[in-house]
Amino acid sequence: MSDKKPILEFKDIHVEVEGKEVVKGVSMTINPGEIHAIMGKNGSGKSSLSNALMGHPSYTITKGEAYLKGESILDMEADERSRAGLFLAFQYPLAIPGVTVANFMRAALKSHRGADADMSDFRKLFKAAMTDLSVDQSFATRYINDGFSGGEKKRIEVLQMSMLNPAMALLDETDSGVDIDAIKIVSEGINRYQSENNGVLMVTHYQRLLNYVKPDKVHVMMDGKFVLTGGPELALKLEESGYEWLNEEKTGV
Amino acid sequence: MTTQNQDIMIPEITPELKRGPQWLQDKRTASKESYNNSPIPRRGLHLWRYTDPASFVVDKDQVVDTAFRANLNYTIEAELAHLKDGNLSAFVVDKSGRDIEINSSDNVTSDVIIISTLSDAVESHFEIVNKHLYSLVNNETGKFEAMNSALWNDGIFIYIPDGKTVEQPIHLLRESGLDKSAQFPRLLVVVGKNSEVTIIDEYAGGSETQSDNMSLTNSAVEIFGDIDSRTRYISLQRNSEGAKIYLAHRANAEQNASILTVPLAFGGAISKQNFGVTLNGEGADSKMYGLLFGGGRQHYDNHTLHHHAVGKTTSDINFKVVLKDKANSAYTGLIRIENSAKVCEAYQENRNLLLNKGCKAETIPELEILNEDVICSHGATIGPLDPEMVFFLKCRGINETDATRMIVSGFVEATLKQVPADLKEKIPEFVAKRLEDI
Repeated sequence: MSDKKPILEFKDIHVEVEGKEVVKGVSMTINPGEIHAIMGKNGSGKSSLSNALMGHPSYTITKGEAYLKGESILDMEADERSRAGLFLAFQYPLAIPGVTVANFMRAALKSHRGADADMSDFRKLFKAAMTDLSVDQSFATRYINDGFSGGEKKRIEVLQMSMLNPAMALLDETDSGVDIDAIKIVSEGINRYQSENNGVLMVTHYQRLLNYVKPDKVHVMMDGKFVLTGGPELALKLEESGYEWLNEEKTGV
Repeated sequence: MTTQNQDIMIPEITPELKRGPQWLQDKRTASKESYNNSPIPRRGLHLWRYTDPASFVVDKDQVVDTAFRANLNYTIEAELAHLKDGNLSAFVVDKSGRDIEINSSDNVTSDVIIISTLSDAVESHFEIVNKHLYSLVNNETGKFEAMNSALWNDGIFIYIPDGKTVEQPIHLLRESGLDKSAQFPRLLVVVGKNSEVTIIDEYAGGSETQSDNMSLTNSAVEIFGDIDSRTRYISLQRNSEGAKIYLAHRANAEQNASILTVPLAFGGAISKQNFGVTLNGEGADSKMYGLLFGGGRQHYDNHTLHHHAVGKTTSDINFKVVLKDKANSAYTGLIRIENSAKVCEAYQENRNLLLNKGCKAETIPELEILNEDVICSHGATIGPLDPEMVFFLKCRGINETDATRMIVSGFVEATLKQVPADLKEKIPEFVAKRLEDI
């Protein structure tokens, strides 16, 4: 073990959805400053893992341990995990009609800072974050994700991340449903956020996003398990050869 | 034959109601006869499936109580201040449909607004009153409309002559008495050609708790929008928790007239409200944005009607319901488009949000579309808070209670947008109050 405490560490995590086991014992350690990626086909369990780590009530962790900066998070509600420093960027960010992006963002930041916190800097921070992510100022008064395009939704997700500045960011398919220009903006946002003090775990089907955000480690997930872990070159190999060779390799073993 | 219980018949019209011109007395007598000769509606009957009609019957001896809750004085002072600041054109306090006090802004002259008691208007604006009063809500509308038509003591008359724009809203406060009181307020609004007005009709007071002696308020509202007029009518029902409310609202929109109706309900024990607009001239448009938020054991029964009497008319209803505790609500919404009314557009949406398991909502769209040359849609949903929305907000650090409040506030936002500035603070307060102990 290195002397620095891992940002996120989970061991032998098993996840059930509606009584069916979809994640079958996975472990990972993410140290400060590290970017990890989980790659896998649809249905491999990677989104279930990130939802379960965040505390989604439909994803039950039946076995295993998870620690954020050394603190066990599995007994926490999702909002407590968020305030403890965990962030999940959604694959399909939900629309909440009638709630403006600004009001939501203010409430979110206030919850992180505490009920009595001074929020007088909010407007300035919010405007700066919007500018960084090329989000038009008019989005402040629009309802969250209501009628947003795929790219707009993902930019707003990254905006939330940059404002809350979590210790650990789980990015679930942040590149899906997004055109190439938006990918650039979104990945720039991720790179701006990323530092020696935090951790990033990207969950993705394609290697596209990994061209812009360089992972230190790539974990390949199949059927609820990590079947292979390697460096960034593994992502390139998957891009070239697809996932089929892994199947052969796996069945071969 | 249905035998009528003598106790619940209207006796001879009392001397105090025997005033005004003969035609009015004849109407009262005819209404009394209609009420006494009509049976109590059967529960299976249209519009009576969800509420026991016996709730709205009054005993022969039921007194009109003029004892009012002192704490409404706060509202009166606040609205008088709004009036003084120039944010209202007029503020009217209507106690039990009997004592009506009219406060007009100094900025508004009588060539822009004529506002008086109905009993005065019967004399001073005979022709207008004679032409319009009882033409939309009368003894033939229904048994309880007949009751109001016979027993209203005094009412409010608002007339905007042709070509006038009333810049600031007219605010009416209709106060109900305490236990055992019965009141029959009445409102007649006539908006002239190319004129514009906003009216806030606020119902407050009534019995404080549920008992066998709950106060009854049976109100009738008639609104006429002449050619090219623009009328906004906000009905705010925030009666006390033991009040029974029966409201019959009808409006007419002539050619190119637009009518916006915003029914808001937070109060009362049993509340049956019926809002209807008839589109009577080409280009007429009606929009309704309703919201009710019930808690405790409140019972709501709302009906809306959009009647397209002629072609090239448009209507849109968005009625939202939020319930908690053991409250229940039934919404029935009728769109009727006549055979001759071609090229109409009519939309209806009713969304019901149930915050816990004990509450109950029903929604019944009713479409009577008699020709095919129309665009019409309706949608209805009943459901709990979307757990995915709650999770989304929790993922950003917002706790479950605040997340719920936020989603509900978002749910009602579109309706609250329609509320005039005068009520901008007040209505979110009612919503917030309901959300206090979730």
